[in-house]
Amino acid sequence: MVNLEDLKNEAHKLLKEGTVKYIIGYERGTNGLLPIPAFIKNPEDVERLIWDPTCVFNLTRFLVDEKRRKASEKEPDERPVGVIVKGCDSRALVVLLQEKFINRDDVYILGVSCEEAGVLDEKKLAKTLKGKKAKNIEFTKNDNFVVMTEDGKTEISAKEILAERCLECKANFPVIYDILLGEKVKRKSDKPFGSLEKFESLSKEERWTFWKEQLDKCIRCYACRSVCPMCYCDECVADTINFAVTADTTAEEKAQKIKWAEKSPVTSENFVYHLVRAIHLAGRCIDCGECERVCPLDIPLRLLNKKLEKEAKELFDYEVGFDPDQPSLVSSFKDEDPEDFIR
Amino acid sequence: MEKILTKKSFPQWVKKLSLYKIYAPVRDNDICNLEAIDNPESIDLDCSNTVLSPKKIIFPQREIYLEFETSDENKLQVKEILPEETPSVIFGVRPCDAKALTLTDKVFSGDFKDPYYWKRRNSTTLIGLACNIPPSPNCFCLSVGGSPHSKEGLDILMTDLGDKYFVESLSEKGSTLINLAKPLFQQPKAADKKAVEKTQAEAEKKIVRQIKDIKKIPSILENMFDSPLWDKESLSCLRCGICTYLCPTCHCFDINDEVSSSSPVKGKRVRTWDNCQFPDFTMHSSGHNPRPDRSSRLRQRILHKFQYFVELYKDYQCTGCGRCISKCPVGIDIIEVLDKVSDYGS
Repeated sequence: MVNLEDLKNEAHKLLKEGTVKYIIGYERGTNGLLPIPAFIKNPEDVERLIWDPTCVFNLTRFLVDEKRRKASEKEPDERPVGVIVKGCDSRALVVLLQEKFINRDDVYILGVSCEEAGVLDEKKLAKTLKGKKAKNIEFTKNDNFVVMTEDGKTEISAKEILAERCLECKANFPVIYDILLGEKVKRKSDKPFGSLEKFESLSKEERWTFWKEQLDKCIRCYACRSVCPMCYCDECVADTINFAVTADTTAEEKAQKIKWAEKSPVTSENFVYHLVRAIHLAGRCIDCGECERVCPLDIPLRLLNKKLEKEAKELFDYEVGFDPDQPSLVSSFKDEDPEDFIR
Repeated sequence: MEKILTKKSFPQWVKKLSLYKIYAPVRDNDICNLEAIDNPESIDLDCSNTVLSPKKIIFPQREIYLEFETSDENKLQVKEILPEETPSVIFGVRPCDAKALTLTDKVFSGDFKDPYYWKRRNSTTLIGLACNIPPSPNCFCLSVGGSPHSKEGLDILMTDLGDKYFVESLSEKGSTLINLAKPLFQQPKAADKKAVEKTQAEAEKKIVRQIKDIKKIPSILENMFDSPLWDKESLSCLRCGICTYLCPTCHCFDINDEVSSSSPVKGKRVRTWDNCQFPDFTMHSSGHNPRPDRSSRLRQRILHKFQYFVELYKDYQCTGCGRCISKCPVGIDIIEVLDKVSDYGS
């Protein structure tokens, strides 16, 4: 079991000794059950840190902000940033390192293992509790969660309220770290691509109907893009201004730039946005599930990314997020790569 | 006019309104959406509040202004498009969302009365549903001049009394709808009125969240433009558009030409929602952006709602629905931010 006090002690030491400039972790928020990201600078503030099954966020997303902030500073603090990562988050970090977006020296990784559990799905929990409000949630040894509500303690089988991605997790302990808390034990995942089964049994026409209905709900708030650590492009094809306008950009240049997607939330434009995003995540998405969690309209975005992850595995035997030195899927070629799709 | 309608008769009432286009809360797995419905049975009035408010119907995310096309003689032809005035009814409108429409009414009036907005607004009847239980743990309507049973902006207010609704007509539009199904409604008894009073008093007590010192906030904000608070509070902001798109009062929009053919030129001029939290929102064509970072964008959201709007229209541009708090991916909490503003002022 990960002991929260150990985590606080490690964080305290790192801040006190000045090894890191700040630590990105989880703290209690005011808006509900889920925590909020904590940015801790003072050693005393480590008391705010928490670690429990509500810690769903992928905090590596904030390393993207940190990189931008640092680039704009005249005399940046060169010390690394401490970041708390779960297994899935650590795989995101591997991709950011592999793509040379982040330097290993710029980050101090505090790995926490989910061990045999994972994090919860707030919606599943709400359904199970039928209106009761959860106050506190803890792991127990026997594959259960102990949930405190106003009516007292209840034990719920982990399977019932675990996030779908945790049920399919490949390694629920960090694959890269400077300090590791908890054991490198793995939850037995029955089917790594289980969530795809229902979707793959559909015919082409049924799939089209399914996705049309889902993507027509999209209001283009771009929360899925904004929360994704892999969506770090400075310019996005989905934006109205999808190129860097500088003082030197001429009116002609602006006029000639292609507008890839209109702002209108209609079928064609929503498909352009979501499919471009899905393709750009092929071989890069590590299945932290954040895009799906934050979608206010409940669009099952994880399915798209999971499907591409499966294709990468089946076609190219490529597994994402385990080795920062591995060449990336789209920028590498092997003689045995299938090419029957080239006509 | 005050009436009683049994829950059993409710679908029959909806059926009697066949001349209207009906919108109502509909459950979609874990969420509730406001949708156009054909079958009264699909209405779910026990839903928590809908993801998007009736704003999405009165001020839709996409509105076509005009269509343009070049003719054979290379002449540009422009055709104005105005929305059809379809008589519509929206059921299950929560008091906060009805109040929100009274605020957007102000914005789309003034020197210029926006015909797109008002065509839809005038042809829509709003049937409210009092919140006996707060639809969200982050509801805070009481802090911003609302209440779980406020009648502001509504044509009818329905209060759930177990196996029946207490139905109160608040306008001529509302009475018309009741009169279309007169035999279904009964006169309320004294006990019903008492039950409504009791339910409403209890409902107010169930709202736990509140803003500390709302009255002082507009004047404190006047001196906070350069405060370091905005940096601190926006540290985790992801620059997504959830808070503003889901807000029942946010009304910023963009106008674009969507060209479907370049030769001959053909296309549409459309208005779409825009969002002050997006990085390109205030981007100038020079490349300069006066609100270049998340801190200035959070400041804009707060100042617009609690300073500028108050200066312009003497009301907060917030009705306490709690959507921005509950749905923020990183838990940025407008109540917390405003409480810190209060602390800053004292």
